[in-house]
Amino acid sequence: MALLTSIVVVPAAAGLACLLPLPRRILAALNILAFGVALALGVALLRRVLAQDVVTECHEFLYADALSAWMVLLTSAVSLGSALYAGRYVQRDLDDQTITPGRAREFFVLTPLFGAAMFLVVLANNLGVMWAAVEATALSSVLLVALYNRKNSLEAAWKYVMLGSLGLALALLGTVFVYAAACKNTSEPFPSFNWSHLMPLAHQLDPHLLKLAFVLALIGYGTKAGLAPMHTWLPDAHSEAPSPTSAMLSGASLKVAIYALLRFHILTAACLGSGFSRHLLLGFGLLSMLLAPPFILVQRNLKRMLAYSSLEHVGLICTGVALNTPLTIFGALLHMGYHALAKPVLFFAAGNIHQTFHSLQFRAIGSGVVKMLPVTGLLMGLGAVAAVGLPPFGLFFSELTVISGGLAAGQITVSVLILAALIASFCGVLQQLARILPGEPKTGQAHSGRPFDGALAMVLLLGGLLLFSVWLPAPLLRGIHQAAGIIGGRP
Amino acid sequence: MNAPSVSADLGSQLITLMAALMLVLQLLLVVENRVLTGIRLYAIQSLFLAGIAGVVAFFNNAVDVYIVAALTVLGKVVFLPWLLNRQVRRIQIVQEIEPLFNAPTAMLVCGGLTLLGYIVARPFTGLERLGNNTLAIAITLVLTGFFLMFNRRKALTQVLALLTVENGVMLAAIALTTYGMPLVVEFGIFFDVLVAVMILGILVYRIRESFASMDTSKLNQLKG
Repeated sequence: MALLTSIVVVPAAAGLACLLPLPRRILAALNILAFGVALALGVALLRRVLAQDVVTECHEFLYADALSAWMVLLTSAVSLGSALYAGRYVQRDLDDQTITPGRAREFFVLTPLFGAAMFLVVLANNLGVMWAAVEATALSSVLLVALYNRKNSLEAAWKYVMLGSLGLALALLGTVFVYAAACKNTSEPFPSFNWSHLMPLAHQLDPHLLKLAFVLALIGYGTKAGLAPMHTWLPDAHSEAPSPTSAMLSGASLKVAIYALLRFHILTAACLGSGFSRHLLLGFGLLSMLLAPPFILVQRNLKRMLAYSSLEHVGLICTGVALNTPLTIFGALLHMGYHALAKPVLFFAAGNIHQTFHSLQFRAIGSGVVKMLPVTGLLMGLGAVAAVGLPPFGLFFSELTVISGGLAAGQITVSVLILAALIASFCGVLQQLARILPGEPKTGQAHSGRPFDGALAMVLLLGGLLLFSVWLPAPLLRGIHQAAGIIGGRP
Repeated sequence: MNAPSVSADLGSQLITLMAALMLVLQLLLVVENRVLTGIRLYAIQSLFLAGIAGVVAFFNNAVDVYIVAALTVLGKVVFLPWLLNRQVRRIQIVQEIEPLFNAPTAMLVCGGLTLLGYIVARPFTGLERLGNNTLAIAITLVLTGFFLMFNRRKALTQVLALLTVENGVMLAAIALTTYGMPLVVEFGIFFDVLVAVMILGILVYRIRESFASMDTSKLNQLKG
């Protein structure tokens, strides 16, 4: 059975099918179906990868190891949540005449294509194809960011696509340098550019070329991953996009870019030893973590605040990988998964708030969201508790794993910095949400008659988060360990 | 192929010449104020890129590279300029507004960037299999492309700048690896560039509609 091919083709086909003149309900259902199938296939892929380490397909065009399988799982989970939420969300926007029916169709076409591009990134064997797929994720999501066609969303989309493309041009140059290194070792005209072919040769590659390639890839894919100081597009795009897209950008797309960066890190580490790429990752990761809390504190817009919180988490993931002990890498990968389940809940709740109050400014929302939107408010509170890393939610454990791993490795300064940044963003997020969630609502604001909008998606994601926080199934745990082994180099 | 050394030498000189012309066109683009002329300059630059690929293909008998050259001609010399031209007509712009730096300053900056390109490429000159200093020119194209994007505020000129950066990267690929990237990658990049220009065109049009301007310096609402 063509497992890998289906993971890419099913969402792509669903996206194209949405071009047909079908009723909107069917379009929404097709989106859900596509990502549901992708999630099921992801589970099957995890089983296959555990059994035989590496799965390849289509003459080795597609390649999956435990790391890819893990990325497929979390991308499809986030996308499925978004698709479940999107049906009602788009309907409400249509009722409010915020978007036209044409734009709604655009949304249902582009979302699965965006998903398919992300799947191709993590399943591509060829590093050049991986680059093309990352560019495709940017291209398929930019019109989603611009969906509302307001001045601000157009500005956000323009910044997103220009900064993204500039960054990716550098990443392409980095990719070219890796290929040049591969060509240097052989006189064949077209040596294979496949990951499965490059990795065994890694130690023979030209170290100078790889160093330059890694720096370029770090800046390039780092821009797409929203690492500071290349993160400036991130709060704009996340705040102006429709909420299901914000959730996919933050929950999946940032991590997919990190995945691309990790592939370069693994290759460079295998060639040069881990020191060079590790230190660079550590610098950018810590900078992102330390830069986020002040911006969280001064934000006046709910979704921008959430975007800066994503910056914090992306920084933690990079730092965890950069500390380069089995424990911290494991923690970083675990954190990817938990963050992917927690952050969309917040964006969905923010979407409901936006549609009720017609603003995302804290001042305009005022206090008493829980009283006005009990379900949304409550779930948002829970999601926030999860996202800032309080027990019993998993982010607490993954953050603790990274910090304790850092301490065990003797990286006292780094661990203390991580802890300080986490505490600061913890205070920031809770303080900001305390302004809007509790209290009495402002008088004279219209009540929303539909309290359960989007609740299903939020409950499912939060439930999943809670379940996996207390109980990680044995195959999943093995999968993450195996993925951590791939990043850290096999013992 | 009877006298490989002579023909390879000729090929190498042709490539060096065409790469140098690509750089000249880039410099012209930096000081050119009319968008339509800019598009033509880009088309000619792409034609030289295709020419370089063609020379490589001819002297190495590489079918794959012929395909790349043909794709470049079709896509970047014919289709993209046509598309961009159509967009310019659709939004009716003729003249670029004042760039950030005036022409002499921009030239000076580009001179500096060229120098930088040569310095960056120096450690890798040993890897060049074709021409002289093609890698340095490629890196210079990338750097000046960035500068061009920074210097101009019209959305369409920024798109053009992005395209020249991409030309630079493709030149680097040929300079470093002789044959360029594997065909499947070239297809991927090619497809992405086409889609990117179409999507950017849509965005430019929408920005024009909403802001009654294409001046990206007016995109300054989102801060912090």
